[in-house]
Amino acid sequence: MTVRNVSRCFVRLAPTRLPGCMPEGHSIPMKHHYPQRSLGRSPRVVSTSRRRFLQASAAALSGLALSNCRRGISDVQTGSTSNNGTASAQPGTLHIYTWADYTDEGLAQLFTERTGIEVVIDIYDSNEVMLAKMQAGGGDAYSIIYPSDYMVEEMIELGMLSELDHSKLQGLDTLFPQWQNPSYDPGNAHSIPMSWGTTGLLYNTTQLEIEPEDWSDLWDYQDLLFRRMTLLDDMREVIGASLRSLGYSYNSTNPDEIEAAYQLLVDLKPAIASFQSFGWEDQLLSGDLALVMAYSVDAIAATLEDPSLIYVVPKSGSSLWTDTMVIPKSAPNPEAAYAWMNLFYEPQVSADVVSRLFFATPIQPAFELLPEDLQTNDDLFPPDEILAKCEGIAPVGEAIELYDRLWTELASA
Amino acid sequence: MSTSTPPSPSTLQPSPPPAPPPRRWLRWVQPLLLLGPSGLWLVVLLVLPTLLILDLSFLPGLRPGAAPPDYGLGNYLQLLNKTYRDVIGRSLGFALITTTACLILGFPVSYWIALKSPKRWRVLLLIAFVLPLWTSSLLRAYAWVSILRPTGVLNSLLSFVHLPTQDWLYTEVAVGIGLSYSFLPYMVLILYASLEKLDLRLLEASADLGATPLQTFWKVTVPQTLPGIAAGSLLVFITSLGDFVVPELLGGASSTTMSRLIYNQFLRVRNWGLGAALSMLLILAVSIAIALLMKYGDRNATKA
Amino acid sequence: MKPVSQPPRRFPIPILGIITLIMFGFMYFPILVLAVFSFNASRYSARWEGFSLQWYGRLFNDGRILSALQDSITVATVAVALSAVLGTLMAVGLAKYKFPGKSLYRGVSYLPLIIPDIAIAVATLVFLATMAIPLSLWTIIAAHMVFCLAYIAVVVSSRLATLDPRLEEAALDLGATPVQAFLKILVPELMPAIISGCLLSFVLSMDDLLISSFTAGGGANPLPIEIFSRIRTGVKPDINALSVLLISTSALLAFLAEYVRYRGETRSQR
Repeated sequence: MTVRNVSRCFVRLAPTRLPGCMPEGHSIPMKHHYPQRSLGRSPRVVSTSRRRFLQASAAALSGLALSNCRRGISDVQTGSTSNNGTASAQPGTLHIYTWADYTDEGLAQLFTERTGIEVVIDIYDSNEVMLAKMQAGGGDAYSIIYPSDYMVEEMIELGMLSELDHSKLQGLDTLFPQWQNPSYDPGNAHSIPMSWGTTGLLYNTTQLEIEPEDWSDLWDYQDLLFRRMTLLDDMREVIGASLRSLGYSYNSTNPDEIEAAYQLLVDLKPAIASFQSFGWEDQLLSGDLALVMAYSVDAIAATLEDPSLIYVVPKSGSSLWTDTMVIPKSAPNPEAAYAWMNLFYEPQVSADVVSRLFFATPIQPAFELLPEDLQTNDDLFPPDEILAKCEGIAPVGEAIELYDRLWTELASA
Repeated sequence: MSTSTPPSPSTLQPSPPPAPPPRRWLRWVQPLLLLGPSGLWLVVLLVLPTLLILDLSFLPGLRPGAAPPDYGLGNYLQLLNKTYRDVIGRSLGFALITTTACLILGFPVSYWIALKSPKRWRVLLLIAFVLPLWTSSLLRAYAWVSILRPTGVLNSLLSFVHLPTQDWLYTEVAVGIGLSYSFLPYMVLILYASLEKLDLRLLEASADLGATPLQTFWKVTVPQTLPGIAAGSLLVFITSLGDFVVPELLGGASSTTMSRLIYNQFLRVRNWGLGAALSMLLILAVSIAIALLMKYGDRNATKA
Repeated sequence: MKPVSQPPRRFPIPILGIITLIMFGFMYFPILVLAVFSFNASRYSARWEGFSLQWYGRLFNDGRILSALQDSITVATVAVALSAVLGTLMAVGLAKYKFPGKSLYRGVSYLPLIIPDIAIAVATLVFLATMAIPLSLWTIIAAHMVFCLAYIAVVVSSRLATLDPRLEEAALDLGATPVQAFLKILVPELMPAIISGCLLSFVLSMDDLLISSFTAGGGANPLPIEIFSRIRTGVKPDINALSVLLISTSALLAFLAEYVRYRGETRSQR
């Protein structure tokens, strides 16, 4: 980092051995007048053979380490090590890894009051970041994670999630019917749904004379929106939206379709200010930005705060996502995780959280406890004809590498 | 000598000849104690990991969780694509522009502090100029976001004096400003060290012989401080080449650099193979810069 | 220094002075902006809506920030303390002994100063992952020690080069054990360099985002990671308040470090 380099100024002078850049009074360290003692009795004679020996053994050592390591990589990934003995998390603490807007102080405090267990919440801003962190071995402390639907499927496939003991869970039968047996995780065997929502466009009416209704408007009005719009920093959502605007599925595995969607995005790229999923509120309200692509959770919170902001679910359809709670196999404190899940599934607790954080709840009794204005909020609970056009994101198998590559190239273009 | 002296605090006789054979191993204990731990640390946590990255870079498209592919040059070949060539070019471009800007902006400052400012204030002035570097690099980059955003401080000032406003945030301009801001103090620091030793009598002689100030500058000042200029440029070049924070916060969608790309390959997209290859390329670029300077600097030193 | 006759006056002095002044403004402007916004009553940092101390109040009640700060301080303190010992030993060892492969050793010890952080960070991550070492606060400390000890060693080395080796020899001749000679003679002489090296690497460690990002785990969450995550997920102006506090603290540290270094240098020149 930068400060680190300050020192390089003082310090680099030495290694570069440049004349003229050491302050007076410093001699260059290479020319110590410190007496140097030789270790070998006659270093010149001994050194060649010893050096060769050292070289050989160093090579052997590193070769060994490398081959070990390479084997290691394919074993490591599954969220790495076993659950016991992670020195990192104390038993009295529940570490949670979640999206930015799903928990707040109130919920954490309530949990601590009830159970005496401290809650520590860490935040990620995309499913891919979370997965990368877990695979790199940085997630051993977490007992609860909040992946989205397709990511649940992927993590099950990678063997990272522990199967849930339904006898320890309450309220699963109070879910709305469509979450009783979701396609991404049949029977909710590894995950329980905690929120759902859509992805759409949020714009500031004081900044924009048009009323965007569909994905295609991004391209049609890109002069008006030039560098005043952001897209999500979410590979599947952005490429999916582009696929959708071409009339294809969010989950296309056809390379031609994906390429076409990518080309469309490349055309749009110069008009995009940045890829960011969160943190745009300030810029949107102040007028730096006119339109953002956003998850409904954050968009609704913003519209309720400032009525000049409008959220639309694009006409041609959007993604309909479910976020869940899961317990990774490496969880150090699964009992606390179950307690957290059960707390969240209490209708009143859930309803309170929803009225503070504005995500749509899949829990029927919680929905019924919501205040009237939230129940009838069409952004929060869109009418069926909109939902009918939406589509859930699902894993795309091998095609994920093509997605990854094109996403990287889009960012780099 | 001291290494073979048996510890005998009671003897006040200056070093009696040691009994060599049984204590031969003692010769090794001291250096091993002094150099062993750090050496081990550096080898285990720096050298081996870097070799490992070199190894991974030859595994095309290696992903954690998937079976390792066969060795090949796939990652490096992929870097030849136009997109990645652009990224590499952009990173080098940023580094070059930053170096140039720092040189142009930094030289007058160092010159003034080293030669024109009151002598007792010099060190203090220099410290004051470098002080912002000691603060969090993230927060300083973030400050530039507040300044450069369309409704930010800069545009408020510009419209206050009736100048056209600028939309610089999330463009290459913002990254250039941010990088130059971050690394200017290094340049000043190194140029100062070099200018401080400038022989003023040479400047005087040059003036007495009728040279214009500009001639004096090019013919006397610059050659005298060339090693400093080279060292400062190298430092700014390699640090700005590897910087992550500034392009990430100020670059938006427009300026993906090598370090952003590496970060994303590991913490987002999970293509470790490609990330490793990019990382090796970055190390290579830095090494080339250093090698060039060593050669250039040494030649210059022998001339002087 | 004897008063050299005035340097040639024809060089446009005022212009240089003015440029310097402008550059000073350039260096301090962003910091000023942060400071001003930290007293802004508005929730959004864009508009000025009156003076307020609310963000400072919020900051001190923000458990996450405080625990992140604590993590950072723990990492920096432990890493610097260990590196101070190892780095000093290494510098002394390099000054004292000649051995095959010494220049290689020295070269390796400079690597952390030369290789870009991102490359070090990535390498460490992959290494830890392949060795199946779970990430935690300790892995951050281990990774930070790599660059801390390199910096301390270089600062100490340059001080060693100016020392008179006869002092230590005299002590040995008078019958001190090598350990005594090291602790009583060498270490006090090196102290200014060790302290300034420590301060330097402390600040570096506190500011490190990349290496921490790639080696943090087990719920450890140093301050730069927390700040970065807040910037990405929406900054509230209490970050401004935090930056003012951080900047004041590190300015103080910086001044201390520079002062110690300066004093050490002038003393050695006499």
